[in-house]
Amino acid sequence: MTGWKTTRFTTTRRGFLAAGGAVGAAAMLPKWVGPAQAAERVLNLRLDADNAILDPGYMVGGSEIEAQKQCLPFLAQYVVEDGAVGWEPTYFVSKLEQRDPTHIDFELAEGLMWSGDFGPVLASDVKYSYERMKTTDWSGYFDAFERVDVTGERSGTIVLNKPFAPFIVITLCHGPGAVLSEKAMMAVGEKFTTEFPAICGPYVYEQIPGQRAVFTPNPDWTGPKPDFDRVNCNVITEMKGAELAFEAGELHCTEIGTDTLARYADEMPAGAKVTAAGELQYLWLGMNTQHPKLQNKLVRRAIQHAVDVEAINQGAYSGVVTRSYGNVCPGLIGQRTTTRYYTHDVAKARELLEESGVRGLELTLKVLNNQERMLGAQIIQANLAAIGITVKILPQDAGPFWEMGQESKGEQWKDLELFTMRFATTPDPYEAMQWFVSSQVGVWNWERWTDPEFDRLYEEGLGETDPAKRAEIYLRMQDIMEETGAYVWINHEPEVYVHADDVEISAAPSAELDYRRFRQL
Amino acid sequence: MLSYILKRLGLSLAVVVAVVLVLFSLLHLIPGDPATVALGPRATPEAVQRYAEKMHLDKPVVMQFLIYVKNAALGDLGVDVFSNRSVAQIAIDRMGFTVALVSVSLAWAVLLGVPLGCLAAVRPNSWIDRLAAVLSVGTIAIPSFVVSIWALLLFSLELRWLPAMGAGEPGDPLDQLHHLALPALAVGLGWVGYLARMVRASMLEVMGEPYIRAAHAFGLPPRRVVYGYALRVAILPTVTLIGMGFSGLLSGAVFAEIIFARPGIGKLIFDSVMNRNFPVVQGAVLLTTALYIVITLISDLVVAWLDPRVRETL
Repeated sequence: MTGWKTTRFTTTRRGFLAAGGAVGAAAMLPKWVGPAQAAERVLNLRLDADNAILDPGYMVGGSEIEAQKQCLPFLAQYVVEDGAVGWEPTYFVSKLEQRDPTHIDFELAEGLMWSGDFGPVLASDVKYSYERMKTTDWSGYFDAFERVDVTGERSGTIVLNKPFAPFIVITLCHGPGAVLSEKAMMAVGEKFTTEFPAICGPYVYEQIPGQRAVFTPNPDWTGPKPDFDRVNCNVITEMKGAELAFEAGELHCTEIGTDTLARYADEMPAGAKVTAAGELQYLWLGMNTQHPKLQNKLVRRAIQHAVDVEAINQGAYSGVVTRSYGNVCPGLIGQRTTTRYYTHDVAKARELLEESGVRGLELTLKVLNNQERMLGAQIIQANLAAIGITVKILPQDAGPFWEMGQESKGEQWKDLELFTMRFATTPDPYEAMQWFVSSQVGVWNWERWTDPEFDRLYEEGLGETDPAKRAEIYLRMQDIMEETGAYVWINHEPEVYVHADDVEISAAPSAELDYRRFRQL
Repeated sequence: MLSYILKRLGLSLAVVVAVVLVLFSLLHLIPGDPATVALGPRATPEAVQRYAEKMHLDKPVVMQFLIYVKNAALGDLGVDVFSNRSVAQIAIDRMGFTVALVSVSLAWAVLLGVPLGCLAAVRPNSWIDRLAAVLSVGTIAIPSFVVSIWALLLFSLELRWLPAMGAGEPGDPLDQLHHLALPALAVGLGWVGYLARMVRASMLEVMGEPYIRAAHAFGLPPRRVVYGYALRVAILPTVTLIGMGFSGLLSGAVFAEIIFARPGIGKLIFDSVMNRNFPVVQGAVLLTTALYIVITLISDLVVAWLDPRVRETL
């Protein structure tokens, strides 16, 4: 016999059930929030997907840009004044000035340091970052960019290869304008995915794949302290799920769809407020001017007059979108406030069709297969039926839809007749115009018209720095587009956020959030 | 037993090859150019070319298939075209969340469903039996996504007792359990009904057996007869059902994962389909298939281990 005692852990059925019940009950209890957590200001937001690539050269965009804005220096940031989109220098620069149409001088603020042992933020980092972008997936943002001349440790000049007025707004304020540490980039082989090689910003970034991205204070940051100590960006792919999470009090802010916006317009959740970030999207009904059925301009004009845009916006978009009068979006230079060549006038439409001599016209309308586009297409179908045009609606999946007007993808562009199309754009009118110049016929100009004046004005608009003159240029360009008869402008769908009314949000016109500019009211 | 296992593994291999073939054809059956479909309409030609090279789309289709099979056999399921992360790693990471959800769902369904079935069987045609029948059929009839939405609206939106989304704070098991409660309720509810019906039917059959009558005749306490003798035999078909249910729920939990924004293999597949991230779709489905096969095999082996009659037939 030894003196050993053994302890036996026995599990009776009752004990097991009791333990299971206790664990279940614990799971059902609302989570207790202790004083330490209560003291921490936490902002809970939504991420629509995991961030895949934070490298500005190879990112997907969207929330990846949001992460860059918290952890990397930018020279400029968006500002919206009286509904107009502009720019202002960031905290990271003491000077940012457009000296002439092709030179932008900058001076970095003093005391900016990269994390790790990568030293101060230098003008050579700006040079490295921007010159590198010319060979990346986002090189299109740097077409007008030539080089950066470093004039001092913290100062330099961005040199453009041609006058390009929107460079600061389009490129420097946006994700591609992020500055990277040259030394840190060299250390990681000049590419990275979900870990910044070095940061200089108010937050440190951490990603938990499939769950969330977390931003916590950067201990090395000497700049303005953001209002929130921690930002949790929870991965919620479905917008509806995020809306419910907001209503359940688990998010402080999330983007909402037009149907929810309409619901909130009737009854806003308690303690909530909506803020429109921007309306940088334009939806239109397009017509292939080279298709035999649509070559007669009178037919196209008849269609322009027949379509009831208000009915589409009310019926398919619950009346919460901004009616469109052109492809320049609200808040941008050159936005139109009325159409010039058509109004909704069924009698006039019938008269034009009669004048064209076309009888028994049957057309095909191709639309992207989603609820709003289908509803809109049905309204167009009814509108055109009223003037004697029979429309067959062909819903398309995204793959074939985006190829149907491209000559490089086959012969289907020859069959294209009517289509509804929505493009997103940047906060400058030039971007919306570039798809309709002569060289874009068969690429993105699926209406297939050309106009030498339009092409000339497009080039002039790029180089013109006087806002008033630019406005004239873009107004004229939209007149030219509309005069072709190939467009019925429908709407600008807003990017809208619902948020707690004690939080002031900061969203770019293209809808990316900038968490460090959020304010706790 | 060994020959049975080998035979089953051989059949499983054939299933895996068939699944790989279907998955592989997915990429080529979707209308439009795969690279453009995946990267979006305005992808640069350079990005499209890089994608094509990465996915071996520049090679003949047969060669693409062989490369995929070879890599898959070596555990290389490719890389996520957007993040460059290993698909195998992504899928394995997410599988843990789904296994946790399915385990908890089935656990509470067993804890409730099996006693409910027993109770109904020992008092056939009583009010308890009828009530159990109504509850069972009711829970089976309501789809899990309806339960999910209902539970979300009631417990999260109205009562605010339980969280509406996510998997909880990493490293905080209580918080994770807290986040698991609603999805597990939604996923497991239908199984309460299934198990109760299955156990009731099996129990009724077993309770009529001579050895049960003999046990009663020897004066053994009814509880011992029911739980010690009848249930031990009656539970065998339920074990098979649980094994199949566990496997089916690996992908069936997708609704709960989407509605409650929980990471998981089902949601990963759904999101990847929506983003046309084909390598991840292929890899995640393949992993789910492999796990399905393994779990079904284990459940068959457990039944064989529990029941000598089955063991003898192997």
